Amino acid sequence: MIKIENLNHTYKDREKKALNNINLHIEKGESLVIIGSSGSGKSTLLKAINRTIEPTGGKIFIAGEDILSIPNKTVRQVRGRIGMIFQNFNLIERETVMKNVLDGRSRYNTNFRTVLGIFSDNDYEVAKESLQMVGLGGYEQDRVANLSGGQKQRVAMARALSQKPEVILADEPVSNLDPKLMKEIMDLLKKICEEENITLISSLHFLDFAKQYSTRIIGIREGEVVFDGSKDDLTEKDTVDIYGKTKDWYLYGKLGF
Amino acid sequence: MVIGIIVVAVYYWAIMGTETSITNFIKGIPFMADFVQRMFPPDISNLGKFLLKAVETLQMAVVGSTLGALIALPLSFLGARNVMSNKIIYHFIRTIFDVCRGINEVIWGLIFVSMVGLGPFPGVLALAAHVTGALGRYFSEAIETVDSEIIKAIISTGASRIQVIARGIFPQVKPLFINYALYYLENNFRAATVLGLVGAGGIGMELLTSMRLFRSREVLTILIIMVAMVTFIDRFSAYIRKKITKVEVLN
Repeated sequence: MIKIENLNHTYKDREKKALNNINLHIEKGESLVIIGSSGSGKSTLLKAINRTIEPTGGKIFIAGEDILSIPNKTVRQVRGRIGMIFQNFNLIERETVMKNVLDGRSRYNTNFRTVLGIFSDNDYEVAKESLQMVGLGGYEQDRVANLSGGQKQRVAMARALSQKPEVILADEPVSNLDPKLMKEIMDLLKKICEEENITLISSLHFLDFAKQYSTRIIGIREGEVVFDGSKDDLTEKDTVDIYGKTKDWYLYGKLGF
Repeated sequence: MVIGIIVVAVYYWAIMGTETSITNFIKGIPFMADFVQRMFPPDISNLGKFLLKAVETLQMAVVGSTLGALIALPLSFLGARNVMSNKIIYHFIRTIFDVCRGINEVIWGLIFVSMVGLGPFPGVLALAAHVTGALGRYFSEAIETVDSEIIKAIISTGASRIQVIARGIFPQVKPLFINYALYYLENNFRAATVLGLVGAGGIGMELLTSMRLFRSREVLTILIIMVAMVTFIDRFSAYIRKKITKVEVLN
């Protein structure tokens, strides 16, 4: 499904590599969790996969297509196939839930119709279905600003789902939520992706959490993959490799469940 | 101490240069009193005509502001650093805004009167020109302060550039845009009253005529209408803007 070959990235004006020779093969329907300390390169890797950054080297194949070599004009079609949810939800707070979810239908709509706010019946239908999937049926006309944090992340999820994505990238999706909601959101995300056969790639801070919601864990440290395996393969030595000093990973593990 | 001397010196220099003099002012009071005396009682024989001209002034403000806002809206995206990556276009647009804004409405009025002749139309053009620059600049600056995380989210859905602007940026700046535009409508009504003085239509033109014909009592009538209308428009616009802001915050 996704094949990453020798991926490298160095941010402008920085000497250190943010991603250093990453090689990964991700199968369809996998639930991959990327773990690592802040600044280890988790987010950069996710951004490279939907090409919201331009990696400085390497190749990324999605369904056989090299997405880094396609022209700028068609790159949006690639992004459209990949849903993304964020730590801060990134919704337009003053607008309705429906309007926010319809943004997921952008790639199916023309510029002119988007500017005028016109969407097809099918777009509305898909948006409604997506809201039902995340348990927010009936909230269509509510303002996002009036919702709770957990509900906002559900709206963001519905926006991603209405893209009809093959992959969902979740960049620390629960870091802004309390422990109870964290579990609720991750349970829901995992359930939907399993049902819809969507490949889920999330970056998570907490180790115990990563174990619970993954079929496979990738550990990144300073832009390099230092662990790649199932949760059962993850030893104490691996966690030290990923997080550095024992004290640090202990902290990450302890804060989870 | 040194700063004190400098401040005194600067004021002395400025006062001498402008021939500001309290004695001259006091000497002038009887002339002023005479002028004011001749204005009473206000002559309302032409009231209907003046009121019509006041309405024309309001119409000029409405059309001029709307035209300016409509021109500024698309240009402001080209003048925002986070939308326009081409530096030449960005600087070009910003320069246009600065020139339009830097030239006072009355100067624009003089330019357009010589172009299209006397009347309210050059007034409308003058207001539109100034407002394009002013609103363009404020709009661009508002666009530059939007939350880039929301833009990233819209980009990640596969949206095109225009869709990103329409859905990622515009909803974030919409309340600010409306607020600025209404503020300029209010501003333009005040500016439009003065524009008549250079022949660009509206009640200002009547004021000029009456003054030239030494019809002091008519001048007073016109001044009363102007003050009343400006006060009314200011209050009304402030009320609407407050309402809009309040609704936006609540929702």
